[in-house]
Amino acid sequence: MARRKGRGASRAAARVLVAVQLAIVVVTLGVMAVWSFADAWPWPQLAPQAWSLRGYAIVFSGSSDGWPSLALSVGIGAASSLVATVAGAMGARAVCCHEWRGKGVFRFATMLPFLIPGTVFAMGVQVAFIRMGLARTVPGVVLAHAIVALPYASALMIDVVRAQGTRLDDAARLLGAGRVATLFQVTIPSLAPGLLSALSMGFIISCSQYFLTLLVGGGKVRTFALAMFPYVAGGDRTIAAAYGVIFMVVTLAVFCVFRLLLRRLSWNADDAVLYE
Amino acid sequence: MRAASAEEGLRRRRRAVRLAPYALALPAAALAVVFAYGVVVGVLQGFGIMPSLGMNAFTLDYYAQALARPDFTASIGYSLYLSAVSSAIALAGGVLLAWALTTMRARTAVRMASLQVPILTMHALVALAVAFLFSGSGLVSRLLADPAAQSAAQSAFSVVGDPSGWGIVAVYAWKEIPYVAFCTVTIMMHVSGTLGEAAAMSGASPARSFFSVTLPLCAPAAVQAFVVVAAFSFGSYEVAYLLGPTYPKTLPVLAYMEFQDPDLVNRCYAMALNGITTGVCALTAAVYFIAARVQRRQEGSRG
Repeated sequence: MARRKGRGASRAAARVLVAVQLAIVVVTLGVMAVWSFADAWPWPQLAPQAWSLRGYAIVFSGSSDGWPSLALSVGIGAASSLVATVAGAMGARAVCCHEWRGKGVFRFATMLPFLIPGTVFAMGVQVAFIRMGLARTVPGVVLAHAIVALPYASALMIDVVRAQGTRLDDAARLLGAGRVATLFQVTIPSLAPGLLSALSMGFIISCSQYFLTLLVGGGKVRTFALAMFPYVAGGDRTIAAAYGVIFMVVTLAVFCVFRLLLRRLSWNADDAVLYE
Repeated sequence: MRAASAEEGLRRRRRAVRLAPYALALPAAALAVVFAYGVVVGVLQGFGIMPSLGMNAFTLDYYAQALARPDFTASIGYSLYLSAVSSAIALAGGVLLAWALTTMRARTAVRMASLQVPILTMHALVALAVAFLFSGSGLVSRLLADPAAQSAAQSAFSVVGDPSGWGIVAVYAWKEIPYVAFCTVTIMMHVSGTLGEAAAMSGASPARSFFSVTLPLCAPAAVQAFVVVAAFSFGSYEVAYLLGPTYPKTLPVLAYMEFQDPDLVNRCYAMALNGITTGVCALTAAVYFIAARVQRRQEGSRG
């Protein structure tokens, strides 16, 4: 009896905690949304005194580079997450399905960007990229973003490949499927939920990079994060908030598209929980 | 003749099998090499080696200069403090949040809103929102405002530039508690549904079953996330730049300031600071790996 009561109490406490977390998320993003529509909000008023769409108008007007930088961010995010996911998935197959010399070193090397801060990498790689002709170019930024997304993609794909094993591939090969057919009709579909998760994670990471993009792109590759930062760092609050709202809407939309694809692919799979 | 070609084919297949993992590892290895190359070029500059400027002599001068800076001790202390506090809060809060989500058997939508949404919010935007809430002219200051006060300048507190750094800690807590929870919640739900349930059936109290069964099994995932958060909060730029005080500056902010100096030799100086940052992170990682290995060995001997 007492035990059941203890269980009920802990469930109630859990509900309260999750409610607090949700409230924190909603209030934080809500304040940003309100500011993005505020025209005049003098201190100490608790609500804006005048509303306007000025922030959004400026983001998307000719003087600001809202649209082109948004398109560039989406493109760089798509390309870099694809590179990181393919590299991570191939590496995961090498780690989980084969025994070879140097495996430990390889695993450690792919996790390095987790351990060494991005600022150190960014300042160091700038000179290296100038030498390679990659500085101030979009491919250079894509490469740099793929590198910071790699450990996330690797860790995720290693979990997924380890759970999946190679039994489906082996079965397909035994039944006479060729190498290419096995890859495209068995391996990739069976790993699709993991691949989608890695892609969406890579996309988010790429879109959020400010410092790395600034240093590798030399200010010439103007992604959305770069266009936004000056306003966030002490410019006009309404414009900064409008940038923020657009950033959230775009990343959330991309995330939701990936979630829908994921649900269609794995709604009847036993291990769907692995990817949530 | 036929036997020979069959043998040749077998040998070729064996070689293909042996080389397959290396081919699979190649793209990720290439990315890792570019990463290592960038870090090494930077670290070498800290030792005064910049071939493009004709500097090839190894020297420890820049490290000596960096260490002798009057504000160096304050900077590294401030960075360590921010990182330690933020990652400790992230670990405790993240495990707690994962427990809460597991215990109330949260629906997917609730998990998405409480974990994924913070994960996909950019750090700089969280800093912006924290400023909206807690700066001198922020919402909280308005709520607490004395009706007689004439301007925001007279309000009691502001998160921006506060030397205690609680605004920076708040941003990292907002971002990284959900990250740690995200990294642990899947395994926690799995463990609590299987082994935790078994412990409860055998008569363990909810607390006992959590602390003796569920938590130990989730600890590796949580601690790994903690190390990632610690290294990230120690070495990242944006949040400390946006909300930090002018003194002391965190190490990355200080390094970038020197890096931007028009005099290129100052880059060596910036890179020496980066070298120190890397050293601290490497030390954290080494402690983690050694602890993980010791734990694994103990568990091995126990089992």
